[in-house]
Amino acid sequence: MTHNPFKSPIAPTWCPGCGDFVILRSLQTALVDSGFKPAETVLCYGIGCSGNMADFNLSYGFHGLHGRSLANAIGIKLANHHLQVAVIVGDGDGYGEGLNHLIALARGNHDVTVIVHNNSRYSLTTGQSSPTTIKGTKTKSTPQGVLEQAFNPIATCLATEATFVARAYTGQPAQLTKIIQAGFEHKGFALIDVIQYCPTFNQKQDHAWFSERVYDLKEAGHDAGDKLKAMQLAQEKDRIPLGIFYQDLSSPPYHAQVSRLDKKTLIDQSSTKVNLTQAMVNFD
Amino acid sequence: MTKSQLSSFNWKIAGKAGEGVMVVAKMLAMICKRHGLNAFNYLEYPSLIKGGHQTGQVLASFGPAKCQKKDLDLLVTLGGAGLTEHARELTKDSLVIYNQDAGPLDKTKQQQFKSRLVKLPLTTLAKQTTGAVQSANMGVLGVSVYFLGLNTKIAQQVIKDEFVGKTESVIEDNLKTFMAGFKAGQKLGQPIRQINKKPDNKILLTGNEAVGLGALAGGVQFYSAYPMTPATGLLHYLAQMQDKYPLVVKHAEDEIGAINHALGASFAGVRAMTGTSGGGFALMVEGLALASLAEIPLVILEAQRKGPATGLPTWTEQADLSFVLTAGHGDTQQVVLTPGTVAEHFELTKLAFDLADKYQLPVIILSDKLMLESHQTMKKPEIVQTHQAQSLAKDLPQDDSYRRYLVTKSGLSPRSLPGQAHGLQLTNSYEHDEFGFATELADQTQAQVEKRARKLEALAQEMPRPYLLGPKKVKVTLVGWGSTINLLTQLIENQADQADSKSPLINAICLPAVWPFPSSAFVKLVKSARRLVMVEGNQSGQAEKLIRQETGLIMTDHIRRYDGRPFYVEDIKLFLKKGRMTSHKRHSPPPRRGGIQE
Repeated sequence: MTHNPFKSPIAPTWCPGCGDFVILRSLQTALVDSGFKPAETVLCYGIGCSGNMADFNLSYGFHGLHGRSLANAIGIKLANHHLQVAVIVGDGDGYGEGLNHLIALARGNHDVTVIVHNNSRYSLTTGQSSPTTIKGTKTKSTPQGVLEQAFNPIATCLATEATFVARAYTGQPAQLTKIIQAGFEHKGFALIDVIQYCPTFNQKQDHAWFSERVYDLKEAGHDAGDKLKAMQLAQEKDRIPLGIFYQDLSSPPYHAQVSRLDKKTLIDQSSTKVNLTQAMVNFD
Repeated sequence: MTKSQLSSFNWKIAGKAGEGVMVVAKMLAMICKRHGLNAFNYLEYPSLIKGGHQTGQVLASFGPAKCQKKDLDLLVTLGGAGLTEHARELTKDSLVIYNQDAGPLDKTKQQQFKSRLVKLPLTTLAKQTTGAVQSANMGVLGVSVYFLGLNTKIAQQVIKDEFVGKTESVIEDNLKTFMAGFKAGQKLGQPIRQINKKPDNKILLTGNEAVGLGALAGGVQFYSAYPMTPATGLLHYLAQMQDKYPLVVKHAEDEIGAINHALGASFAGVRAMTGTSGGGFALMVEGLALASLAEIPLVILEAQRKGPATGLPTWTEQADLSFVLTAGHGDTQQVVLTPGTVAEHFELTKLAFDLADKYQLPVIILSDKLMLESHQTMKKPEIVQTHQAQSLAKDLPQDDSYRRYLVTKSGLSPRSLPGQAHGLQLTNSYEHDEFGFATELADQTQAQVEKRARKLEALAQEMPRPYLLGPKKVKVTLVGWGSTINLLTQLIENQADQADSKSPLINAICLPAVWPFPSSAFVKLVKSARRLVMVEGNQSGQAEKLIRQETGLIMTDHIRRYDGRPFYVEDIKLFLKKGRMTSHKRHSPPPRRGGIQE
């Protein structure tokens, strides 16, 4: 990356050692390597440590509400499907508050890349359990240990017909960059679950913990076209597969199925003059 | 009977859900429109699909026909029910047509009312004519058209238009049963009305459809919603318009998704709207605050129904006003329009898009089940409608120094759109600096808060003004907002040709918009009023409180209704006649102090 037009003048404010730094760098590298221009890119952000990234990127940005930026992306893409639209959320954001929107994106195959910072904690609110916290873990909000089973984003997105489902790890930035780029290239919804270490509120799941468990799906010979196998791999508890679990290359994205958007984007059809004749046929 | 009385009527059909009650009422209203009459069609139905008691009620006149009246001229019952439920709406002049196939009539019940009653086997009639009972409702239409002295050719055309797209035999069956009903009427007696066609320059539509038409006129390109009575009609209408206009309609995953889809689309540069009822609006409130802080144009239809919670889902109320005015945490900026007539629904929705665009904030159209699901005639609007995009940033500086939230005297900062060169910006739900980056600095925060507040000052000048109906010098001035404007209009316009010595002379002040509250215009209007009576459809007097809050004015009295039913003309007349006002004192004028400028 020689010149990075996505770099903002504001320096990140995350804790030293936070995986968010890695995701920011990988994201900007993927944007540049994909040939995207800041003026044609919209990055949507939720609320949390991940959402604070809004100030650290330079592009068109929409820093929405906790969980809701997923829903904003649907409207943005429908209004102007020539824009490259990505959503940056956290695990509380995307898998908790915004889960219904995430499923809507997956089922609709909206052409939006969703990058989830998954550190298994609500860190900006100082370390409560999140949907992906392992059952039994003691946190400030769950002093007796979390009683729920951890949410499985990979299996959920596979079950809700997502056409691109992948997991990356901040300890392996080169792979993360490649997966983000593959997500951008994918014509349709892409979920990229990025597991990461929270050095402040989740010291147990540190790099040593992850290193013992992660392995590469591609190296293990997984065929990303095999959905049943992907579902099986998504159930693994002891080991953590990284890479693309599943990609469906044939299903069209949502906007390509809206007949109104066949020839032009919606914004390109804007007019300041409207003839109401056809709208009044049944009223006369 | 005067000539004008002979050419106006109040008709009702009662039957069970699934019997085609609502479609007949709509068709009768359309027949009236095509005679050049004004018409209002009010529907009552329970929240179920089959069975249960339903009614459709058409008030038609060459004079005003703006709302529902209690006293019926003609009642037709289709299913078993009808007579006992509507006995109080019958007078000695009413005619009742009873479907004898629905069962024998209880003699004691029959004696309870003085109206003329004729029996007709409406179900058998349909079966004999077409071999099936489905078209029995067309028999009702036929007998009604006969007794109301309406033109059969016009009625037949309305039937053909209604069933366009159905098979020839379906249309034929409906026409046959219609004529069988008409002929059966001829055997029963003389028509009670005689209506001669006059030129027709009107359209007939529901409030929902008028909002949709106004939205199209205002350039709507994106509508997202989750179905909820009574806003669903707008979703259905706009969904149908997608293949005719540059519009995308998205049935969202929930109301939170609906408002956020619309905000995304608006940010990307198209005029966007969402719609729901009170419960769905409650879910949208965090999105409303986002629109306000991030300065994203948005139009919202809030279709009130009887609450709280699930309440009475298919009945009306005006009780979301206080909620809507203060919706959104923090110091939010929003506009609240309260259209009355169907024509106002059209005009104010178009205006809502211009205001939202120019001032970059949410504009709420607050209406209710009564107006959104009732049909009303209005003058045909201009066919070609124009609007102007008013807040977009043009000629952006090449050095990338553009600031999305530039602090300006007017509070307005031009908006760049994604895809636009040199316009990079962050639309931010955090408090932000002029570029859009998050800030927690005190001076920047205060500057942005005040900039947003300033927008409302200029906007207030563009708001629809309250207006006075009726003579200037009267004993009682009624005040109403939203759907109640129709009732007030009907009362005032009828007063002109039906002098009633028992009732005091009245006039009315109508509020088609309530926020920002038009204080000085309102105070000017009430200056000559003697006694002010607030008429509104809620229990707690929400607009009355608002007026007191904004002007210091205390009303003499109020008429409130909160049983899910709309006001009837007779309710207000009774109140005025009986002098049921709790106080005859003049209302307390606003205190003379700063704040209200005249």
